Amino acid sequence: MRRSLATGLLVILALALALVPPAGAQTREETLIYSLQSDVDNWDPPNSVLREAIILGYHVYDHLAVRDLKTRRVGPNLATSWTNIDDTTWEVKLRQGVKFHDGTPFTSRDVKATFDRVLDPTKKMTARGNHAKIKAVDTIDDHTVRFRTDGPYPLFVERLTAQVMQSDKVIREKGHEWMQENPVGTGPYKLVKWNRKQEHQLVRNDDYWGPKPAFKHLRIRIIPEKATEIAELLSGGVDIIKAVPPDQMDVINKSGQARTGTSPILRTAMLQLDQAARSGPNPFTDRRVRQAANLAVDNDAIIKFVLNGLGDRVAAGVNPMAFGWDPGLKPYKQDLAQAKKLLAEAGYPNGVDVLFNEGPPIVEPAIQQTNDAIIADMTKAGFRVKRNYIGDNTVLVARIKDGKAGSMFNWSWGYYSVFDADAILFDVFKCGENYSYYCNPALDDLIIHGRSTLDQKKRTEVYVKAQKLLFDDAAYLYKWGLRGVWGISNRIEYQAPADEVDRMFLVTPKKK
Amino acid sequence: MKRYALRQVVQLAVVIVGISMLAFAILHVIGDPVTLLLPQNAGKEEYERYNKLLGLDKPIYVQYWKFASRAVQGDFGKSWYADTPAFKLVLERMPPTLYLTTAGLVTALLIALPLGILAALKQHSFVDNLCTMAAVAGQAMPIFWLGIMLIIIFAVQLRLLPASGYGTWQHFLMPAFTLGAFLAPITMRLVRSGVIEIMNMEYIKTARAKGLAERLVVIKHAFRNACIPVITVLGLQFGQLLGGAVITETVFAWPGVATLTVDAIRNQDFPVVQCAVVLLALIIVAVNFLVDMIVGLIDPRIRVGA
Amino acid sequence: MSAVNEVGLKIAGAPDATGAPATTARRSWPRLWRLKWGLVAAVVMLLIVGVAAAAPWIAPYSPVEVDIRHRLAPPAWMDRGTPDHVLCTDQIGRDLLSRMIYGGRVSLLIGVAAVLVSSTIGVLLGLGAGYFEPWVDWTIMTLVNVMLTFPFVLLALAVIAVLGPSLVNMVIVLGVADWPLYARVIRAETMTLRERDFMTAARALGMSHLRIIFRQLLPNLVSVIVVIATLQVARVIILESFLSFLGLGVQPPTPAWGNMLGDGRVYMLNSWWIAAFPGLAIFITTLTINLMGNALRDWLDPHMKL
Repeated sequence: MRRSLATGLLVILALALALVPPAGAQTREETLIYSLQSDVDNWDPPNSVLREAIILGYHVYDHLAVRDLKTRRVGPNLATSWTNIDDTTWEVKLRQGVKFHDGTPFTSRDVKATFDRVLDPTKKMTARGNHAKIKAVDTIDDHTVRFRTDGPYPLFVERLTAQVMQSDKVIREKGHEWMQENPVGTGPYKLVKWNRKQEHQLVRNDDYWGPKPAFKHLRIRIIPEKATEIAELLSGGVDIIKAVPPDQMDVINKSGQARTGTSPILRTAMLQLDQAARSGPNPFTDRRVRQAANLAVDNDAIIKFVLNGLGDRVAAGVNPMAFGWDPGLKPYKQDLAQAKKLLAEAGYPNGVDVLFNEGPPIVEPAIQQTNDAIIADMTKAGFRVKRNYIGDNTVLVARIKDGKAGSMFNWSWGYYSVFDADAILFDVFKCGENYSYYCNPALDDLIIHGRSTLDQKKRTEVYVKAQKLLFDDAAYLYKWGLRGVWGISNRIEYQAPADEVDRMFLVTPKKK
Repeated sequence: MKRYALRQVVQLAVVIVGISMLAFAILHVIGDPVTLLLPQNAGKEEYERYNKLLGLDKPIYVQYWKFASRAVQGDFGKSWYADTPAFKLVLERMPPTLYLTTAGLVTALLIALPLGILAALKQHSFVDNLCTMAAVAGQAMPIFWLGIMLIIIFAVQLRLLPASGYGTWQHFLMPAFTLGAFLAPITMRLVRSGVIEIMNMEYIKTARAKGLAERLVVIKHAFRNACIPVITVLGLQFGQLLGGAVITETVFAWPGVATLTVDAIRNQDFPVVQCAVVLLALIIVAVNFLVDMIVGLIDPRIRVGA
Repeated sequence: MSAVNEVGLKIAGAPDATGAPATTARRSWPRLWRLKWGLVAAVVMLLIVGVAAAAPWIAPYSPVEVDIRHRLAPPAWMDRGTPDHVLCTDQIGRDLLSRMIYGGRVSLLIGVAAVLVSSTIGVLLGLGAGYFEPWVDWTIMTLVNVMLTFPFVLLALAVIAVLGPSLVNMVIVLGVADWPLYARVIRAETMTLRERDFMTAARALGMSHLRIIFRQLLPNLVSVIVVIATLQVARVIILESFLSFLGLGVQPPTPAWGNMLGDGRVYMLNSWWIAAFPGLAIFITTLTINLMGNALRDWLDPHMKL
């Protein structure tokens, strides 16, 4: 018996060890490892709303135009030039000699197929809203396309950075379902293997038309636990992590193994208030209650003491880095007496109950701490906040889209990396949009007006008006423009990106 | 033995059906799948159409029958979140969890068996007290705290092991120990009390009286019988172990089925939840069946009694 | 999965069981001396409960008072520490000592309440299974097996997903998850008691089932129940920290040791004290409870195997 038990144990042990898959053949030297806290839902960027999908998209696909991270201006990429033929027609010349990973050359047919797919309302692609102003795409010759737009479309060029180019052949022959897991792009890396919620393995595209990445292998790991992610960075297991909590910066900087990099990023954090009553009647439909919420919170102190200064106040949602931001508009200052007075006027002299759906700390650094501080301030003014923690960002996003996000919820908007006021106003403030819990026809007029002229001066005026309106009406509880914190291994050089799109193909080994 | 096995199989079947019913009930208790699937602006007609499409307009027992007859063929439907068959998703993630729990079990045994026997043989001694204290201390330690501490010590400070992930044998050590430490205390206490009880039994006393060496007495008679409760409880603990696995998998970024299921519950991805729960239950049931058979082989009394 | 599984968890089912339940002869002073650790533990426990009960009068600050200007202050005896906050302040400037004191209230309350729920369900079903006809037994034990096969964490997640996280729901989840243990033990106990003389006498006297169960059986089971319940309180406190780790525990800003430990885990590399103190509180409390439980078991019935 003893022997058989011992044998049994040995068999189990041997089994456990034998079944372990062998390690990859690549060396750590030529491998770059980047980590994300949560995985993408698919490998089809226009069919995903997640920031992670945009980031992954940059590595396997190319865009017609891209932003230069130093100048923050949009420059050519797969498109070499673009011109306005008239108010509603853009002609785009395409780069020649570019090939997809499957060997087919990139031509105007691919551009047309990509946009046709995204714009087809029956396909319900997430990115459709981004390009709704485009009416049609015509191929002129193999390397020239014309876009016809619905009225003047000032964001046309900006939006070219928000659409990856997919292959006409793949769309036709492989179809939607296949594309969810199998990206075929023209980008600097090719996908080798995707182990869902574990890891993406990519290898350099040696036929890439542009500058080739320094690292042959790229692994993108999914590490849900922040403490583990930081430990990985410190122990050399991972090279770049994002969204480092401000409180942990000293740990990383003192380690000798890694350092932190920060950058203001194109992302505005808010507590969205359900002014439009999408999830049912609630106190925030009253403007005075919304103003009281804004007046209750001492955001300046929170930025200073909780975020270690890593935040920039915004007066009405529009980020200081975006076109149209009004520097003259001063944000709300804490005034508890006034907040209480407004609540009393609104019919809540003894305080008011509100429900707060909290999101996980994925995009916003220190979100739990700042939430704690905000709630503490709101409580002082008479809000009785019932908190409901939603542990998964995709669930929060789904609830928001479904109009079930409750009277107040965490939300931060990354503008789809389009540096323009319209990119937040349309998606997050316009009546009836997926992520908007605000509804005001006066604002909608301004938004429509702003996106239908090419005259930048006129647009600025429109956006100044829009922000004044949003400030006075206290649409949401405005927090701040975020500054991102990255943890970067000392073995590499990396510049923190202002548009939050980590580009691993720009990473180089540290010079010795 | 045959009759005993048959009886066990019948109960097995009932348990499995019970589990599948529970899994099915989840869907209907947690929420209305149609509203979850449809866009917010969908009209009443579209709702009805979807309701019909999913077969939700039928009586619940018809729905369950449909679910069960498909599930038997491994068809649990498509994941609502990831757009792929739930069965495939769950199967993909099953091996890492099985390795982890097996490794955890083995680790727990490696810790618990020697300590438990030692404590029993030196009952009420200093060693015994020390072991008992260690077991109590182990039980009082939250598993995620232990996991993060291990990472800090062995990955960050000493640089001996990878902090997280899955792939090589080094990746196994910390998660296996974490999970093992979760299970070891109770196992140790059972080994201890099992050995104590048996050492006091008549036949052991007889063996001693016959002049058998103490070591032989322990190994030949006591240990074998003390195994019975340990094996039994290990089988039972398998379900609990999966609870520990959720935490261990999260801390060590381990791509297992436990985290998949938790994510699926959060995403309200019912096909995946149902599939995972049923498959996990099947495994637990199978393990327990095996345990019962083994125990039946070791201890003939049980086959007769009950 | 029938009677076999009780071997591990049952109390006196073994053939050598000594007869009279809760023997009075053993409650002698020399034995009590051996239980000195249990007594020490009882005193410590009394202290913990006292502090928790007196929270509003003892705690130096409100547990939810945020002071972002003095966040992450280390304990008073370290550099940068202030005597204003003896232990330290947490990530949002709340006084950790106050939160520990109030948190103890919540954690103990959850522990005790959940155990009340699970022991009530478990004892009733266990009595029923042990006392009534085989088919009742079979039904209840199948239910027990289904419960044991259904991983606890998944159950907890599913239930909380339905009901939403709150103190009451937490108690329900933890209570419902843990009853099978009581049921198994009580069933085994009942079965052995059923054959005793006093039971036969009671039946011969024509006492009703209910009267026999509650007047004759239950009093003989009290010591067993008390021992399991004591040990389970410690388990529930640990489980609450599991749930907090998954974001399903006691919701902020209400302090509980579990969610404090969970919140502090990111700070283990620099401000380690945020997680260390609540962790220590959980550790000491569960250790104390376990020591008490062990002593109680030795005192009441040294043949209990748990």
